[in-house]
This record gives sequence, structure tokens and C-alpha cells, in this order.
Amino acid sequence: MTTQAVQVEGLRKRYGDVQALEGLSFEVRPDEIFGLVGPNGAGKTTTLRTLATLLNKDEGTVTVAGHDVEADPDAVRRAIRYLPEDAGAYESMSGRQFLEFVADFYAQGAAADAMVERGVEIADLDERIDDDTQAYSKGMTRKLLLGSALMTDPHLAILDEPTSGLDVKNSKTVREVVKEFPGEERSILLSSHDMLEVEYLCDRVGLLNDGVIVTSGSPEELMAEYDAENLEDVFLEVVA
Amino acid sequence: MRPFTRLVWKEARELLRPRYILPILLLPLIFVGMGQGFSGVEAQLGQEPTVGVVDHDGDRYGEVVVDTLDAESTLAHRSTNGSVETALNETTAAGGSAVVEIPANFTERIESGERGRIHLYTTVESVSIVGIASSSQVEELLSQSAHNVTVAVTGASEAQLDPIERDHTTYVKGRQLSAPPGVVSAAFTSQFIFVPVIIMLAIVFSGQMVMNSMASETEHKTLETLLSMPVDRRSIVAAKLVGGSVVGLIATALYTGGIAFSNLSIGEVGGNGAITLGAGDYLLVAVSLFFTLVGTLAVALSLGLFADSQQGAQMLLLPLSGLAIVPMFATMFTDVDALGPLAKGVLFAIPFTHPIIAPKRLLFDDRGLVFAGIGYEIVFALVAVWLAVKIFESDRPITGNAGWLDRLVRMVQQ
Repeated sequence: MTTQAVQVEGLRKRYGDVQALEGLSFEVRPDEIFGLVGPNGAGKTTTLRTLATLLNKDEGTVTVAGHDVEADPDAVRRAIRYLPEDAGAYESMSGRQFLEFVADFYAQGAAADAMVERGVEIADLDERIDDDTQAYSKGMTRKLLLGSALMTDPHLAILDEPTSGLDVKNSKTVREVVKEFPGEERSILLSSHDMLEVEYLCDRVGLLNDGVIVTSGSPEELMAEYDAENLEDVFLEVVA
Repeated sequence: MRPFTRLVWKEARELLRPRYILPILLLPLIFVGMGQGFSGVEAQLGQEPTVGVVDHDGDRYGEVVVDTLDAESTLAHRSTNGSVETALNETTAAGGSAVVEIPANFTERIESGERGRIHLYTTVESVSIVGIASSSQVEELLSQSAHNVTVAVTGASEAQLDPIERDHTTYVKGRQLSAPPGVVSAAFTSQFIFVPVIIMLAIVFSGQMVMNSMASETEHKTLETLLSMPVDRRSIVAAKLVGGSVVGLIATALYTGGIAFSNLSIGEVGGNGAITLGAGDYLLVAVSLFFTLVGTLAVALSLGLFADSQQGAQMLLLPLSGLAIVPMFATMFTDVDALGPLAKGVLFAIPFTHPIIAPKRLLFDDRGLVFAGIGYEIVFALVAVWLAVKIFESDRPITGNAGWLDRLVRMVQQ
């Protein structure tokens, strides 16, 4: 039996009086990009943070690459890389030093060096890779973080709004990198408000509303099901 | 590099950035500047004073005064009938500031059993420590002159003038010391002003560094990335404690050096070996301080999770600083043993109290209470670290939710 990249069953999470996730269930298969979309406050970021072992679940089971997030969080962390929506890099480091800092947690010696070189290539910052990150623009920081997220060849890359704050050219570059990433043991769980981006990148999409997956399928299947011309119309139809 | 070492290295790099380290470096420089100023004053006061003298008396006791001034100071002006104005001008030009005028009937009054009168003219150009302190040097010259006149008038010897020699035995908490109470008090003060200040600085600076470390993660949005790395929470907590405390202790060393250089502390213990600590005693104080620091930094780390910026971290540090200052002042100005049970209980409950009062207790071989204090520190450190790890394993680093504390604040606001 194939191990799913992500298997979520009946996930529930409450913040005080707010029920953020209401029995969420979905799966991310190997070699696919799964898009998690929904309106603000639907529970997307809570879901991604739970998978990244940053938040504890109240109920349900969550496994990543076959490891339970609660029983074996260290194994889950070794299997993933998480790019938060609003993230930064350490200002005391250059871009390259930041990549070296991250690589050191996943590999040693020549393997770590190769990882860093791959990160430099993905970040595509040319000679600015050796500048201090405090001198980077938001777009440059985002590209550096994407490089650091994908260079380790994670089983699952969790990307929250990967093109957030990027200009058109950089967004296109990032999309190409993301599109080419999936492989036999490499999947992506992606969250985005840009429906065109989701339609372009994702093999399957889960529409999240009020803490549950309302519908899921490939973009084509969803458009056919809701008789819509694009994913944006599907989204509006489902949320309404 | 092992992940833990890499994390400590990262913490040190982040905390050694100018925004964190410059304010810490500037204050010791101010201390050094103050030290230079005090050294200058001391050097100036150590020099022989320059004075002028106008002796209208010209008789034998006036001569005694003039001879004393000549022997103990540099005489820039000496005359028997000149004006005070001329004397002042010449003395000031020579770097002095005082002129002694001896009236014509000075010897005559003393011989008739009255007190002789002398007029002292002083020019104060600088209203500062140097300007005012230099006039005290001239007062001392006149006291010496009065002593010499007394010897000349009475023909008494030094032993006759001060016929009682004193030997002192002072008992402090049953311990016998061969020194006057004033000297003992000065020695204690010198020992116990400096030690609590250093301990307080170590606690405050290390606490501030650890809080800065957490606030920096929040401010620069690196915490989520860090916490999703394949490294357990205990290593992250330990790395932050080690990194923050190393930088904090460097800052403490700089401050200690700055204070020592500034001569703000008394430093010496009156040369009385009976009231100093041995190497073993200092080791016990260090052990007590170590566990206090571990516990304090773990508390600072937990509090730092709720700081969204460096400014926020400084606000959160205030309660910790306050708790460190209370035992510092308590031990400087009172004897903890002399306090009532309630005050003593409150003071002993503050973890910072134990390393601060440890030197005094060790001085009187009160080791039982020092060991009890260390036991309390170990429990405090274990609980604080456990709490920090638990908080790191919870949702709080990400949500910033302080739970019941948030609800309490909201209730107060409403």
C-alpha cells in the first residue's frame, strides 16, 4: 500500500471560543501538488501549521509521510519543509549563510554543500546571495526562503502563499520552480488566494470553508461539477 | 556542526548585532569616563596645595603659622605688609586659590589667653568637586597650624596632646575582630555593595538577552521556520539559554570592569583578612548564581514568547529587574536576619535573594542556609526550564496566546 504524503482524518482545533477546524479530512498523494483554498479564517493556516508540528490538534489523526504528528513530531519535521505566509530570515546572516544554517539540520559535509548549492540555484539571487539578508527586498527574501524550503528535497513542502509579495516576473519564476518540484517521494501542499495560480499549479484542490473541506478534486473536475469556467467561479459558488 | 552548536552560534550572532550590543557597550564607557574624572580629582587633591600668606603679625605665633604653611604647601606669595588683593592675584596666577591673612595682634591675643584670629580668602573658580574639595586642603593646613601653635604655646609633647591610645575588639554575630566598628562596617560595605550589584547585573543583562532573542524571532518572523526544523524543543530552549547567557555574562563582565575602573566601589576590605571570603566560599556563591541564572533565563525565555519586539521585551523584563533589585537593596541596607518573619519569607521566596545573601552567610560560616538556598535554586531552575519546554511544545509560541493571563488582561481592560 502506498504511503500518502499527508493523511488527515477528523482534525478538530479550537482557539478559545472559535472552532477553527471542524473535523477536517483530506489526503495529499505522492508526486502531487495539493491546493488548499478557502476564504480568510477558513482554517487553511491552522491546517498547515498543524501539519508542520507548530500547533497541537484537539482531535483527529494527522500523519505526514507515514509519521504521526503527535507521536513522532521529530520524524515529521525531518520529512517536511514549511514556508509560512509571512516569514523572514535571520538578519545577521547573508543569504548563503542562511541556507547553510538550514542545510546543517538535514545533512553534513558534501551533502550539505550540495544542498546549499541547490538552494542558491532555486533562490536565483546571483551575487546578492552573499549580501546580508537585512538588505533584501521582500521578494528576494521570499525567493531565498523558497530555496531553503525546497533544497532539502522534503517528502512534503508546505507552502503558504508562496508568491505573496512577489512581482509578476518573480511570481512566474517561483511558480515554475514549484511546478517542477513533485517527484516519486516529493509532494507539495500549497495554500493560495490566487485562484489562477492554484488552477495552474495544483493537481488536486480542496475547498475549505468553516473548518471543513467542502469539496475536492482536480481543477477540471471541480469546474465540471460546478459548471464553472474557472476555479475562481467554483470558489465563489462553494463559499456562497 | 551539530544542530545544537549551530543554534547557539546563531543566537550569539543575532544578539551581537549593534542594535542589541551597542547600548550595553556604551554604559561601561561612561563608567570608564567617570573613573577618569575621579582619578583626575584624586590626583589633583593628592598634590601639595598652593597658597599665599600675608603676615601682619610678624611675631612668634604668626611665624609658626607661616612656617607650617611653608612646610606643608607651596607658598606662591609671602609678605608682611602687602595687600590681600595682590596676594590673591599672585597666588591665583601660580595655580593656587587661597590666601591666609594673619592680623597684627595674632600673637598678642594668644598670649593674653584669647583665641587668635586668621582670615582666609578663597577664590572658587570652579563650582565642582575639584573646586570645593581643594578648599578643604587649606582648612587642613590651618588645623595643622593650630596644632603647631598649641605645641609652641604649651610646650606639650604629642603624647600629652593625645594621651589615650585605643585598642579595638569588635564582635559581629559572635565573631571576634580586631578592628574598630567603623572599619568593620566599611569592610562589610565594600564586600556587599559590589557583589549584589554584579549579581543583579548578571541577572538583568542575561534576562534581557534571552528576551531579545525571543523578541527578535517574533519581530523578524523566523520563529515558525525555526520550530519546524528537525530539532527538538529542548535543544532550542537550551541553545537560547546558552546563547543569551553567554552574551549576557560578557555584558556583565564589561560592566563589572567598567565599575571597577571607575572606582565607584570601595573594593578593599580594610586589610582585615578575618572578614574576607575564601575560594571555596566564592565557588558556592558561583553555584548559587549559576542555578539562579538558569532559572531566571528560562523564565525570561517564557516571558519573551509574548514580546512582539525588543521594546516589548524590555517592558516584560521590568518585573524581573524589580525582583532582582529588592534583595540587592535589602542586603545592602539591612540585615536579612533582622527582618520580621513575613518580610524574611517574601525575601527568601525571591530566587535572586539567595546568591546575593550567600557571601554574608558564608562569612559567618552559616553554610547550612547557603546549601538550603542552592537547593531552592535547583528546584526553581528545574521548574522554570520544564515550564519553558512545555510552553515551547504548546501552541503559545505561534499563537502568542497567554491563556488565563490574556483573559485576565481583557477583564481588566473591560
